[in-house]
Amino acid sequence: MHKRSDDRLVAYLDGELEVAERREIEAWLASDATAREKFAALAESTNLVRAAFDEIIHEPVPDRLIAAARGESVSSEPVGRVLPFRRRQATEAASTSRPWRVGLPVAACLLGLLLGGNAAYFGVAKLALNGSGKSPAVAAAAADNLWLDNAAGYFKLVASAGDGALIDVAPTDDPREALQKISQNLPQAVRLPDLKPWGLKFRGARLVVADGRPAAQLVYTTDNKAIGPLTLLIGSSKEPDISPTLARRQEVNLLYWRHQGRAYALVGQSDIGYLWGIANDVAWQLDAI
Amino acid sequence: MSLSQKMAGSPVHLVSDRGPVSDRDRFCDQLIAVLPRLRRFARGLTGSAVEADDLVQAACERALARRHQFQEGTRFDSWMFRIVQTIWIDQIRARDVRKEDGDVAEERLGSDEPVRRVEARLSLDEVRRAVDRLPRDQRTALLLVTVDGLSYKEAAEVARVPVGTIMSRLARARIALQQHLAAGGGMLGSKKDAQAQ
Repeated sequence: MHKRSDDRLVAYLDGELEVAERREIEAWLASDATAREKFAALAESTNLVRAAFDEIIHEPVPDRLIAAARGESVSSEPVGRVLPFRRRQATEAASTSRPWRVGLPVAACLLGLLLGGNAAYFGVAKLALNGSGKSPAVAAAAADNLWLDNAAGYFKLVASAGDGALIDVAPTDDPREALQKISQNLPQAVRLPDLKPWGLKFRGARLVVADGRPAAQLVYTTDNKAIGPLTLLIGSSKEPDISPTLARRQEVNLLYWRHQGRAYALVGQSDIGYLWGIANDVAWQLDAI
Repeated sequence: MSLSQKMAGSPVHLVSDRGPVSDRDRFCDQLIAVLPRLRRFARGLTGSAVEADDLVQAACERALARRHQFQEGTRFDSWMFRIVQTIWIDQIRARDVRKEDGDVAEERLGSDEPVRRVEARLSLDEVRRAVDRLPRDQRTALLLVTVDGLSYKEAAEVARVPVGTIMSRLARARIALQQHLAAGGGMLGSKKDAQAQ
């Protein structure tokens, strides 16, 4: 019998005890109201501590730290550079000044999508992979590549379109309505992550094809040039879960992961630090972790 | 489990359309990916946003300089936490702190404004301040385990102490914190008062 101590109680709360010790603590809690009260208070204060520090995770990472992590010369700016929100200027000058404007590469991307995306949609890519005798690992890597190429390509289409983005379902007063329409074409309903705290506004959704399967592309924009437009691609996948993985395609950053039959890709041209923080938020909101 | 905690278990991979990615690039990407958590850890240690970012910046520079010391297959985030903690301790020593942590904590506790106690409100800022009042070792254990989700074993490796030490430091930290939040008129205290009424 282990001593009934605060150490053990806290370790029980942290899930650090072996089965026999856990049962001892549970028996103690069942028989001792004071211990139960203490345990409840400990659990609550633990949640408070987590909440108190959680918001730091969602803060934009200052440029100087990203530069330092890259081993680049660090700017003298003491804090992160988050540009103030500005009213959108529907002028040609404003349009051409967008850092995410991609111009000609979009043509190549469009061609790639037409060839890659549609071919995959009709199962050609799948058949080719399965019939080629490639190992499952190679096939999975190829599928990942196709998924990433599609995700990057669709992002560039949206980014290049600017205000005239190719939106299938525009947001109404209730943005969830847009998602419901898109979800009708998907194996699983898609929920809408709220990214307003990042200054990102939901602009609508598109039904696209990624890796041969229909997927929802959620489009967000912001006047904050440090972040720029973002798309979140949500599709289904039969591949096993994978941890968040960084990728770079067609001069676009992607953070993608799979969880319980779903594949996610957050795509944008913002720094990886922003992307990571936003992806963390998305995963949290969608229970996709 | 947060995404950050999940990411902690496996290295971040980088796929590039520009050919093979260099080890250095891969290392930098891992470093960038862990930055939000390093900032949070450093904020908890220092209690100051500016100091925390300075600390993380110094840790990045040291990590890049000692990149060859990182052992593949081990946890990158734990390695970085250790660097942050080491630099922080060095900084504290350099400042020639005259008092032991416990004394500092006592002094800070004693300097609490009575008004704050009476207000019976504890914002999340105040929770952070309560954490800041904990002795350094307890604070580190709390941040690593409670906030960042490391196991006791992993936290012990970062802090370079036995698992039992982490366990007792955590228990002392949690009990002290809980008592402070309750007695100081915080959310816990307010809730109890409300229930009593």
